[in-house]
Amino acid sequence: MFGKRCLWTALSLLVVVALVLPGCAAPPAPPSPAEDTPAPPPPEATTPPPPPEERVFRATFAWPTYIDPAVGSDFSSTSSLVNLYDSLVFPNTEGGVDPHAAESWDVSDDGLTWTFHLQEGIMFHNGSELTASDVAFSMNRLLEIGEGLAYVFLGTVDSATAIDDSTVEFTLAKPSGLFLISLIRLYIVDEEEVMANVVTPGPYGDKGDYGKEYLLTHDAGSGPYTVKEFPLEEYLLMEKYDDWWGEFAENAPDEVRFIATTEAATIRTMMTRQELEITDQWQTVEALEALDEIEGVDIIAFPVLTEFYYMVHTQKPPTDDIHFRRAMAYAFDYNAAVGLEWAGTQQSQGPVPAICAGFNPDVFVFKRDLDKAREELALSAYADQLDQYPVDVHWCTEVPAEEKFALLFQANMADIGIKVNIVSTPWMSMVEEGGALDTSPHIQTTYVSADFPEAGSLLKVRYHSDAAPTWSQNEWLMDEALDKKIDDALVTVDEDARYALYRELQDEIVELCPSIYLYDQVQKHAVQSYVDWPPARGEVIPVMGYTMYTANIGVTGP
Amino acid sequence: MRFAAFLGRRAVHSIFVLLGLSILIFIIARIMPGDPARMAVGARAPQWVVDNLREQMHLTEPLYMQYLYWLRDALRGDFGISLVTRRPVAADIKEFFPATLELALFAGIINGAGGIMLGAISAWQKDKWVDNVVRVISYLGVVTPSFVFAILFLLLFGMTLNWAPTMGRLSQEIARPATVTGLLTIDCLLARNPAAFFDSIWHLILPAVALALGGMSQEARITRSTMADNLSKDYIASARSLGIPGSVIMRSFLLKPSLIPTVSILGLDFAATLGNAFLVELIFVWPGMSRYGINAMLRKDLNAISAVILILGVVFILTNIAVDVIVARLDPRIQLGAGRSE
Repeated sequence: MFGKRCLWTALSLLVVVALVLPGCAAPPAPPSPAEDTPAPPPPEATTPPPPPEERVFRATFAWPTYIDPAVGSDFSSTSSLVNLYDSLVFPNTEGGVDPHAAESWDVSDDGLTWTFHLQEGIMFHNGSELTASDVAFSMNRLLEIGEGLAYVFLGTVDSATAIDDSTVEFTLAKPSGLFLISLIRLYIVDEEEVMANVVTPGPYGDKGDYGKEYLLTHDAGSGPYTVKEFPLEEYLLMEKYDDWWGEFAENAPDEVRFIATTEAATIRTMMTRQELEITDQWQTVEALEALDEIEGVDIIAFPVLTEFYYMVHTQKPPTDDIHFRRAMAYAFDYNAAVGLEWAGTQQSQGPVPAICAGFNPDVFVFKRDLDKAREELALSAYADQLDQYPVDVHWCTEVPAEEKFALLFQANMADIGIKVNIVSTPWMSMVEEGGALDTSPHIQTTYVSADFPEAGSLLKVRYHSDAAPTWSQNEWLMDEALDKKIDDALVTVDEDARYALYRELQDEIVELCPSIYLYDQVQKHAVQSYVDWPPARGEVIPVMGYTMYTANIGVTGP
Repeated sequence: MRFAAFLGRRAVHSIFVLLGLSILIFIIARIMPGDPARMAVGARAPQWVVDNLREQMHLTEPLYMQYLYWLRDALRGDFGISLVTRRPVAADIKEFFPATLELALFAGIINGAGGIMLGAISAWQKDKWVDNVVRVISYLGVVTPSFVFAILFLLLFGMTLNWAPTMGRLSQEIARPATVTGLLTIDCLLARNPAAFFDSIWHLILPAVALALGGMSQEARITRSTMADNLSKDYIASARSLGIPGSVIMRSFLLKPSLIPTVSILGLDFAATLGNAFLVELIFVWPGMSRYGINAMLRKDLNAISAVILILGVVFILTNIAVDVIVARLDPRIQLGAGRSE
């Protein structure tokens, strides 16, 4: 009887406590030093709490985050890589590069041999010195693994060799006007540390797993921050590397925490409580408007290297007819589309975002004009058979915002008698569909980003035949003359000449009307006012990940 | 002896259930759209990288051979490499399962204790205002998804009132104890760190209550219904006529037989919580297995999907066995496996 009574009482108390506690109690105060004193710290404790005066910078990101330079390539991964590793050159706000780990470089007359001279005294986080051998190893490892950012160099770089401790030489398979800027994506790892931590056997022969398991949760870099703690799916905690050779901004954070969530309600709560300094870039317009109402929170928006395309299949009826494509381009309401996005978003001016070097400001831009649309449609071979040729538009299921643009497109095309079927398509199905000419839809709606702030990197993946069977091109232009011009532009080492070729290419592509150019994407973040964030001052490095280079960020609160 | 035979029979049945489950999930995971190797290495990786990975994962072989490879490794405790986390799935499960288990256990305690207490009160006060209030609240609890409670709690107690932590299992300023069991509350106690223990409990409250409310409401309704039914039985009337106090009748004669259906549902609710905690884990940034499993499905992480489903299957089976044992204890008329053995 006594046992039953105890059980009953205990259960009742538990429920009362569990239900009432959230509403009645105050949050536990952070443990004071006095509270900590009686209980000796457990010897196994892995993370000592930081002193309260430390500056902390916290941002949210979409999981997963890969901190291995040969694996990571998305926004959260590159944002981490730029903080953990150094590269030979560093992108600047003008779209070019500045010396970084390399203090100077030379290029041979044929453009095939690039020699870089390293700064002395750059130390990895483990205390060893960064040498040319580490640079060559980093490139070879990246190429051999082939994942992540390797595509930037594959097919271009033949070999990487250390000439001496401070000189490294790259031999290219062909000249490349993009090679120098592409080196911002070569993050230098400590060869010795990586090879000391390989797991054998592995898929890379005598190199075992090439250190992939180790670099999943550790860094082997020399960047301004080093990994302190990385519980997967939860957060990445980095701490300042005090012996870094570069210069930290005033009030640069002592600790950086990238938190794995993009959930709007969670982020709004954290921003309100000042538990988060900056939000991820995936918040919806509605979520950002709500965040904007929080006192001390500002919304910072700036254009990036991403453009929203309606990629039109040029080999499949009825969109194989150029007049049909032009009719659609004239019938679309660009102003309405831009109005669906964040204030300040601009209609795209052709195939490349306006902030790309080599952008052509004089390229022809389609505006909604129903009379011209009807004129073009009348010239099309399908003018009298529109009922038999509905147009399929595939939008990405994982980006729900794309549906409203598809609905707008459907309504606009109805104005000229074109029937549009809207199909929600999972991203990986889109990737598979794009692999073959027959399975590619009439129109695929996709955001595509340039790898570098230069038009050529985007023109290559968007319109070159090599990229036709990939997700980044649904147009299937397969135009040999255009391919040659793109190739010629990309191997032109002289910058002005290269940009001139890019501008010509943009005119020619628009003339073919293979795509409908909706808008240049604006990246949006909610930021606490006590954060001194360069993009808020208009200083944007327009390369993925570099806006989160925390050595340049100042934190004076909360 | 009978109990041992019951366990033996259930163990044999469970093997067949798990085998069937593994075949089913293996096939479903592989007919989902999308090439897992391509998804793992990214859309820009060259084809040879994709092909190499496909070969490593035996994706180039017939489906039955793929299954046999998987089964051979799984029997050795090797569930392969996760395509998302890039490490052994077994290591992932070891890290993420305890977090969800702890959350589900805490939610289960609230669920069971709260549901039984509310149901008992409601039945005892049948058709009075207390009963009506409990019934209305129970209706709301049953029809409201747990993620709605999670968001409400987050915005109310986290954002507006600033009373409770909103993310993770431990505050940033609290030292994380060494992992022993993976159940943070227990690990904090083992590390003799009371500040961390109370902080971890504090972090559990909002997500656990959000998870528990739906089940608790259901348990309250079931308990009320069964108990109200038993209240009208002759043996209760007899006990009342003998002048036995109401509290004694409740504890000694009414509660035990009324709990049988509640316990059965409670067991299923607990097992289901492990899989259904996804949105709550997402909202509270809880690094649990439910969130891991959903991410695996979205990214077609074949090995992780199979392992997570299999583990959920094991939990369901174990919970069902436990429920059968408890129910048999509550009602001696029910014999373990009687239907088949006699």
